[in-house]
Amino acid sequence: MYTPFDFSEALGHRKDYIEDRLREGSPVVGIAYDTGLLLFTIRRTQRKVYEIYDRHMFSAIGNQSDIENVRLASINMAHQEGFERSPDDVSLQRMVGFSLSPALKKGYGDQMTVPFVIRALFAELGKSSSADCFFVLNFDGEYRRAADNAVVAGTPSAEDRMLSVIGSPLRDELPLAKALKLAAEAWAAGARDAHKRRNIASDFDESDQGSPLKGVDEGDADDVFLRDELKVGTIEAAVLERKPAQRTEARFRLLSEVEIAEATAK
Amino acid sequence: MIQIRPNGIGSGAANSMEPAGDLWALLERSGHPLTRSNTLATNVGGASSFVDTHGTTVIAVKFKGGVLNVGDRRATANFAVMYDRAEKVLPIDDHTLLAISGSFARAMEVVRYLRTSFKLFERTYLQPMSLEGKLAELAKVVRAGIPEALQGIGGFIPILTTFDHDENEGRIFFYDGMGARFESAEFGAAGSGSMQIRGVFDYIVKTRKPFHEMTREEALREALYLLDIAADLDAATGGWAKVLPLATTITAQGIVDVSEDELKQVIAEIDAASPGRGLSLR
Repeated sequence: MYTPFDFSEALGHRKDYIEDRLREGSPVVGIAYDTGLLLFTIRRTQRKVYEIYDRHMFSAIGNQSDIENVRLASINMAHQEGFERSPDDVSLQRMVGFSLSPALKKGYGDQMTVPFVIRALFAELGKSSSADCFFVLNFDGEYRRAADNAVVAGTPSAEDRMLSVIGSPLRDELPLAKALKLAAEAWAAGARDAHKRRNIASDFDESDQGSPLKGVDEGDADDVFLRDELKVGTIEAAVLERKPAQRTEARFRLLSEVEIAEATAK
Repeated sequence: MIQIRPNGIGSGAANSMEPAGDLWALLERSGHPLTRSNTLATNVGGASSFVDTHGTTVIAVKFKGGVLNVGDRRATANFAVMYDRAEKVLPIDDHTLLAISGSFARAMEVVRYLRTSFKLFERTYLQPMSLEGKLAELAKVVRAGIPEALQGIGGFIPILTTFDHDENEGRIFFYDGMGARFESAEFGAAGSGSMQIRGVFDYIVKTRKPFHEMTREEALREALYLLDIAADLDAATGGWAKVLPLATTITAQGIVDVSEDELKQVIAEIDAASPGRGLSLR
């Protein structure tokens, strides 16, 4: 017989299953800078930061197929809405709140399916900077809106560390180059935190032989960790810019390697 | 509304084996009127009192380094001038223009459709739609309008001009009402005044020089002369006595409007060289 206890236990198992798979995801950092919004991450092979619509972009950690699924659903939804009504009517509040979140929640609770493994970060460039926002959408359908910055990482503790590294900079005094540097620092703090916890679980720590962090001061550790990660990974960063050079409505732009290298050089 | 389904299969998603990045399929699913052939009860034909608004004359000519589009500003419904500031040369992406003639409502919807469709494709597949793909997309929407066009409303004829970065040259494509696509080496024209000036293009190419060898300024002057003749010979085409025409170029650098000042200057020169016109531009 299926009891209420089974129900909550089953959900717990699903949560463990998903969180296990999210833990190693490369974090994503979202920061509002003076003239736009930035999404920053480090990837191995697959693209990670995507354009959704004229004023929307998206990145996520999780299972590649689930990320694609949510990405395509968002793109379809936005373009259909943008055509049938107006591009001005495409909003994250509607997309995330009314479509994506309920579908994720349903998938999470449905014992007959494999749950979505995803934690997604959306960005929306508003009509004015006060209307800019980020949305973090979790595998269970929970979502939250943030104004100036938002992150997704494999563990809550990593996300906390990242947010504390970012702090609360004054947006008007934060040009893109500075935002990139800050995002790189936040990424390193989050990724290293998740990494450390993983190592604790497997009886391995940063002072072991072979670890690039052996003998490194705590103050420099995030940076050393970042340089080490960049040997195998590539920074991927994209922006939604309020004052674009082109004549189209699209505000999305992937940053060039040169821009990224200049901003994140030591 | 599109939903990702709880079993993990999204509408149009990669793992559902359905084509993604296809606006037409999305609109068909939502029952949008663009994708449904209109079923009017009777054939309204020419006898109906219902008349849709029509754009009139648009012209595209090549020049050294690109393509120039010129259009008058008039939109008419039967003998009424509905609007004298219509824009009939519209960008559908960063280096493609659609010049429209015929049913204004249909044409505007098609322009919005193409813009959205190209963007949807590019965002889905992370690469721009090919020129062939874009031309096929336009043929599809022209063809979808046939049932209505047969009933006497909604017919429209586009000219698509673009800068082809692979060939490093401007290109001009025109269509017939069935969606057949033709490429023109020198020029294209559509709309009510286009037949009246059809021979003038050939005269210019044969007696002066091919458009693609002209400078931008030469091409602009010839195109404005052509538009002036169309306005003279076609009642529905607007002249420039009241509102300036629109002129837009596409080059390797993208789409640029010809400035009002430049238009005024060329027009003033043409007017000055036309004896007996007697009307000066504002």
